[in-house]
Amino acid sequence: MRIVVTGMGIVSPIGSSVDQFWNAAINGFNGIGPIKCFDASNNRSRIAGEIKDFDPKSFLSNKQIEQTDRFTQLAVNAANQAIHDAGSLDHYEPRRRAVSLGSGMGGFATFESSAERKLKNRSIPPFTVPRTMANSAAAWIATIHGLKGANLTCSTACSSGGNAIGMGLDLLRAGKADAVVTGGAEACVLPLTIAGFEALYALSTGFNDNAQYASRPFAKGRDGFVMGEGAAILVLEKEDTAIRRGANIYAQLAGYGCACDATHLVAPDIDGQVAAMSAVIQDAGITPDSIDYINAHATSTPLGDVIETKAIRQLFGKHAEKIVISATKSMIGHTIGASAAIGSIAAIQSLRTGMVHPTINLEEADPECDLNYAPNTALATTLSTALCNAFGFGGNNVSLVFSKPNV
Amino acid sequence: MNTENIETKVIEFIASKVEEVDASTITPESEFEALGLDSMDRVQLLFDAEETFGVTFEDDEVKGFHCVKDIIDHISSHQPASSSNNS
Repeated sequence: MRIVVTGMGIVSPIGSSVDQFWNAAINGFNGIGPIKCFDASNNRSRIAGEIKDFDPKSFLSNKQIEQTDRFTQLAVNAANQAIHDAGSLDHYEPRRRAVSLGSGMGGFATFESSAERKLKNRSIPPFTVPRTMANSAAAWIATIHGLKGANLTCSTACSSGGNAIGMGLDLLRAGKADAVVTGGAEACVLPLTIAGFEALYALSTGFNDNAQYASRPFAKGRDGFVMGEGAAILVLEKEDTAIRRGANIYAQLAGYGCACDATHLVAPDIDGQVAAMSAVIQDAGITPDSIDYINAHATSTPLGDVIETKAIRQLFGKHAEKIVISATKSMIGHTIGASAAIGSIAAIQSLRTGMVHPTINLEEADPECDLNYAPNTALATTLSTALCNAFGFGGNNVSLVFSKPNV
Repeated sequence: MNTENIETKVIEFIASKVEEVDASTITPESEFEALGLDSMDRVQLLFDAEETFGVTFEDDEVKGFHCVKDIIDHISSHQPASSSNNS
């Protein structure tokens, strides 16, 4: 059974529609700047990929805004775009329309603000729990669009969106849904999350005065990831019913692989990454040498980018040097649970357009990062099959494979 | 703030919170149900009223609240001493 992508939506630091995002990505736009949404002057990392000019009033009522965290608002906006793009899902019975969403932190902004109030003995908003819960975004997407089938939320840190899309694929293959609205959302440019990742020495701290150079996957001198926020949503359907209803088919979601390191909660592991990429290639029924492009996890941490490079080399051997790789995070930072969904849209757009967006800030590569990362300038190339990686705390490794329709 | 002012302010506040209700039709006697406020909406409304008017609603007393006047009366009777002479 072939599963295809028929709708896409995105809200990101470099664009709030697929066309806007892709145009910015191809041109290597930088979405990183000084943190605006709170006073970060006491933080060591004072930069982020924030979404500018996001106005929930343009698509939610005052009451809905009051009842939703920012991560839900981003998810709903991306879902609205994706479902509209798919030409509505009315073709399918409401109980056969599912949601599978990923978020690493859920409604953490609500959690932080309510915790701050409670610790000062002030009352807290009555919607604190339904705004904070990780499945809030999936529930709101279902409520607004009448998606009455399975409603799942996956929280596997930075791989959440990848797992969620894979779970969506599984739902369709298992015959448990006819259409799945799937992806990831995150909005944790917040005092506590920034401080928390700082405490792990995971964030970039050396580019506060040169924010545009801070997110530099695979480059010499990189010193950690830059927090980002965003949401990306795909609509998945079975190919035969999508064709029957006359849907536009953007790509085939050919496979999903995942593996847990089971070695360390936060340190990356080559074996786990190789296992996830091997699993997705097997699941897609292809061979490693058919992969043309990898949208890398590549967060710009000193260790992570080297491990991913080594994992790609280990699995693909000589073919690794023929694969074009790029890091979306170089432009938007790390959007945690949304990152794999945003990377999936970049991969699908590459298949559709024959263009690979660049990895920016890659004037000089780390000697240990020795593959083709499409440095600084977009590449025009012939692509049939793309792989998207996402690795998360907890030792989670996820890979997805997208291919051109009818490949 | 005198009682009349409180009434005006509370009605303005309610008008900003309800959807699909003509603000000019809201009176102290307007019942929450008629304003389209379900039980969760009322909890949210009272939370927002606490923030806006600097008062506290105790759980036991709000159980009996059913119309706009209940909020007006509560705020009027919990005015700081310095302003109570004006009411």
